[in-house]
Order: sequence, then C-alpha cells, then structure tokens
Amino acid sequence: MKKLTSILLIGVLVLMALTGCSASGDGGSGESDVIKIGWIGSLTGDQAVWGTCEFNTVKMMVEEANANGGWLGKQIEVIGYDTKGDSLEAVNAVKRLVGQDKVVGIIGPNASGQAIAISQVLEEAKVVDIATVATNPKVTVDEDGNTKPYNFRVCFIDPYQGAVAAGYAFEELGFTKAAILYDVADEYSQGLTEFFEKTFVELGGEIVAKEAFKFGDVDFRPQLSKVKEAQPEVVFMPYFFKEVALSTSQARELGIDATFMGGDGWTSEQLLEMAGDAVEGSYVVNHLDFDDPDVQDFKNAYTEKYDAAVELNGYLAYDAFKLLEEAVKQAGVADSVKIKEAMETAEVQGITGKIVVNAKTHNPDGKEAAMLKIENNSYKFQMKYSVGQ
Amino acid sequence: MSTFIQQIINGISIGSVYALMAVGYSLVYSIMNFSNFAHGGVIMLGAYMGFFALAVFALPFPIALIVSAFGAAAIAIALERVAYSPLRKRNAPFLYFIISAMGASIFLENLVIATIGPNFKTYPKIISQEPILIGDIALGRLDIMMFLISTISLAMLLFFIEKTRTGMAIRATAYNLRASSLMGVNTDSIIFIVFGLGGALAGVAGVLFGMKYTVYPQIGFITTKAFIAAVFGGLGSLTGAVVGAILLGIIETLTAGYISSQLRDLIAFALLIFILVVRPMGIMGKMNEDKA
Repeated sequence: MKKLTSILLIGVLVLMALTGCSASGDGGSGESDVIKIGWIGSLTGDQAVWGTCEFNTVKMMVEEANANGGWLGKQIEVIGYDTKGDSLEAVNAVKRLVGQDKVVGIIGPNASGQAIAISQVLEEAKVVDIATVATNPKVTVDEDGNTKPYNFRVCFIDPYQGAVAAGYAFEELGFTKAAILYDVADEYSQGLTEFFEKTFVELGGEIVAKEAFKFGDVDFRPQLSKVKEAQPEVVFMPYFFKEVALSTSQARELGIDATFMGGDGWTSEQLLEMAGDAVEGSYVVNHLDFDDPDVQDFKNAYTEKYDAAVELNGYLAYDAFKLLEEAVKQAGVADSVKIKEAMETAEVQGITGKIVVNAKTHNPDGKEAAMLKIENNSYKFQMKYSVGQ
Repeated sequence: MSTFIQQIINGISIGSVYALMAVGYSLVYSIMNFSNFAHGGVIMLGAYMGFFALAVFALPFPIALIVSAFGAAAIAIALERVAYSPLRKRNAPFLYFIISAMGASIFLENLVIATIGPNFKTYPKIISQEPILIGDIALGRLDIMMFLISTISLAMLLFFIEKTRTGMAIRATAYNLRASSLMGVNTDSIIFIVFGLGGALAGVAGVLFGMKYTVYPQIGFITTKAFIAAVFGGLGSLTGAVVGAILLGIIETLTAGYISSQLRDLIAFALLIFILVVRPMGIMGKMNEDKA
C-alpha cells in the first residue's frame, strides 16, 4: 500500500511538471515605443475553438490598429498565453504578463472560473483585465458585493442570461414544465441554473427535474432517463457545446422530444456540426445576432484572413479590444492605473451593441440578449429580448 | 419499472465500453506487473484512425474497424519497443515503467494537439440514431452494435488466451515470467503479442468510443475509469476486468438514477473503495503478488 501511495505521489508530481509550462507568446523586447497588451484564454483543451478565435481576433485588430498608426503614436504588440481552460494556468499566465512582459492591459479569458481566479494578481500589479464571455457575476464583484477594481467585462451576466432564458421559455414559448441538466463542477452552469430556476418558478412555471453531471462526463443517459420520466416541455441545458452535442443526441436517442434551450455556451459552429438533427428547433440565448448587417464586415474580414468561421468569442474579443483602445486613448498615456480610471467612464460603440461601462459594477449597462433558434442547421435570429427592465 | 430497466441498459452499455478498455490494462498488467497508463493514448489514436478511415478515406465501417485495430496494435507495440523494452532490458524497477507510461501518454495527447489540432471530430453517421422502442424503453442501435462488437472482441480474446498454444504461453508467462523463460517460452515475443492484442482492443474501443462520443485529444481521460474498473475486477484477470467494468457502469447509472446525480462519483467510488478494502485483490483477482 505504501508503495502505491508513493507511486501515485510521484505520478502526480510528474504530471504537474509535464503539464506545467508551455507558452505561445511572441516574447517581448521591452522597447518603450511599443504598447504591449496581453491576452489569455484556452488554446488547447475543450474550449480551444473559442480561445483560438479570440486570439486570432485580437491579433487581427492589433494589425489593423498598427496599420492606422497604433495607439498614442506607438505600435501595439499582443502577447498571448494558453490557460488550457485551467484557473491555475490563468493565474500563472497573468503573472507572466504583468511581471515579465509588462503589459498595460489584458483581454480575456472567456471563462468565468479563470476570470475570477486572476483578480488578486491584477490588483497587486494594478493592471486591468477585460473578460470576453465570462458571465458569472463574481467576475467583477466579490463575495461581499465590493467591485473588483481591475476586473471588467463586455458581456452581460449569468443572472440576466438565466432569467432571459426562463422568461422567454415561459412567456414567449408558453412552456410551464421545465427540466434542467447542468454541470455541477462549473460556476457558469450553476449560475445560469440558479437564475433560470428562480425566474421560471416566479413566473409560475414548474421545474420537474433537476439533474447534474460533472465536467469530463461523456454519457448523460442516467440523468436523461430521469428527465424523460418527469416529462418536461423544455429542457434547459446551460453548459458548453461539446457536452451539449453529446447530451442532446443521447436525449433524442432515449426518445425525449422536449424543446432544448441553452445559454451562450451553445453558440458555436462546431455544435451544429457535432449535434446535427438533435439540436434542431432548440433556442439559444446569445450576445448578438450573427446576421446583423453591422457585424458582417468583421465576419468577412476574419473568414478571409483565417479561413474559418467566427465564433461568438471573436465578437466579444473585438469589443474588449475596442474598449481597451478607447480607455488607452482617453488616458492619453500607456499607464495601467490611468487606463483603469479611464475605463470606468468609457463608452464605445461595440460590435455586440453599445458598451457603457458601469463604474459601480464594471459590467456593461443595458445590453439586450438576442434569442436565436436553430433551424436548418444554422442559428436564426428570433428577437431581442430582455427581462426586468 | 421501465425506467429501472432503461437505467440497467444504460449501465451495461456504458460498462461495455469500459470493459474493452479495462481488458487492455489487465492484459499488460498480468504479464509485466505494471499499469500501462499509455493505454489511453493508444485508444485515442485508434479513435482518430477510425475517424480518418471513415470520414476522409470513406472506407466501409468493418474495414475501418480492422484498420484501427491493426494500426493501434502497431502503435502499442512500437510504444513497448521505445518506452518499455529498454527499461525491461536493464531490469529497471517497475516504478520507472509507470513514469515512462505517463510520459508517453502525455506525449501522445500533445502530439495529436500539435498535428491534428485540439478540435472535436465527429464520426460520420453510419447507423441510424432512431432508437428501437420496446414499450417505453429505448434501445440505441449504436449501443446494440457497440455491445455486440465488444462481446465478440472479448470472446475472441478469451478464446485465444484459453485455447491456443500461444495463449497457454501467455498464461504461463503471466504466472511467472522468469520460470516460463527457463522453460523455453520466448517471453520477448509473448510481450510483443500481448501489447499487440491490447493495442488491437484499444483500437476497437477507440472507434466505438469515437462513434458514440466524438473524437478529441483528451479521450484518454476516460480510461481512468476503465483502469479503476480493471483494479476493481481484479487486475490481471481478464474476466475480472469485464465484470468490474460492467458493474462500474451499472453502479454509476443506478447511483445517478436513484440516489443523486450530483453525488454520483462520490457515492459510486466510495462503494468501490469499500469493496477493495474488504477484498483487496478485486472481485476476481488472485492474491499472489503485490498490486501496483
């Protein structure tokens, strides 16, 4: 038994050492005529599709801005690190960006878990971070309700997203019996679940089943068999597209014919490819309408440059970059504290709507959600929807 | 009642995938006395080979399955030659084997990320998703097919081990490697065959897994559960691995279905630990050596 323990211990150590460090940065020379910005996110792992799109977007924006003379007459350089979807890696990446690369601001990550984990490092270094699609309330506000000084974001938050899904399901689609399947190991999923449940019940609906799985699971049939038994009209599935593809396919195989509904974790071109018919007719809460004329220029430019479709994250990375640009220009100097001050009053026309930073919460004010429906294997815009306003 | 039957079916179907993977661990363990953690990597590569055979080269499914089985067997053998054979020749402690295996597993995962990319790949649909409904109970066509392929592969393996001359040599080597080699068994080629067999099963498991759950570089992750199933059933015993895997699948589903899906892993694995405490050799293991 002792042998076993020591083997396991050594195994864990080796694993930690091997997975420890791998950066994909451009390095930095530290010349003063360059403004450095950072980006963090997943370039490998489950969410690599999104992270890659974000980083590509930021790189494209930097090139564009540099071609137009850069910021404050200086060229911009972006340094990106892979977080592998891991909070600890995210903290290390931020430490490297502020300590070694001396960036003036950071864009990303897309996931709430990582965005929450990096707050302390940001505060010590006094460098702002603009999260892209991190929708958990605690990204910008701590447990006691105090605003985190250096965390910002350009997306709406989970309570809002969960409430929108519940409101739309109950009021627009007329469903009264809902089931929820969620990821018990993920803050994003828990946040959406909590507020979906709250709003749906307040409106007069009933939650007939609430089942959980754990990140990394690939088989959801035990939970779905229980969902089937409860006979819901709508199944809310607030998690990311890989699990969505697997769970919706398995649900259809078990003979569940309820409508599926999800949050912004769904919106990937990959989902349509992976899930096919299983997600047909499902509804998704999204940050924008992909067919909006205003977003076509960016969409086409990106597709031309990278020969790939833009993921949702690209649009929000675009807005995060625009917000940082505005703050740097207003601050008039590439100083991270001045940039933070400018950020609190910044207003910029983003691609997902007008971004008006709320100085109290560091969230963008008044962003509406766009409801999409999956029809003929593509996302069809239904309507702009908001609750409680 | 129909939900209960549905849950048992779910459990068997999940368990049969675990079984194919668990047998690979047990095979290698029975001969070499170490846990081949690189097995997950071989399964992953098998899944990718099946994907390319079906989606890119548009081969018919049975051919694709055979291509993956042989391809994965070749990789497993190559892995043995590169990562384990040098250690074996130097009589290295078995701890080194495990570390070498872990290294190989991480290497394979990152190799795929670097060359094929981190994205998910979806197998072409080769069988209708429409379930067969018996009353209220849904039987997935893919599940039935997976179950049959698993059963046939495992039966072929058991026949080979129990009934053939080479099989007898494998059993003898598993009993005592040194004594068998003194008796004239070419243990080097036995190890070669064992890795080939384990690899072929890994290839089949990879294709079945990929068809059901898509392909991605972190597939190896799921083999943790297969490994646990192998230990639970009794490392080194092939039937034990199969029984352990099916039981693990059923325990998992029933816990999720009737106790709590939030606490599924907690309860299911607490139960496994309890069983191992009571019966440390696993359900069907033999108690004649140190477990690793």
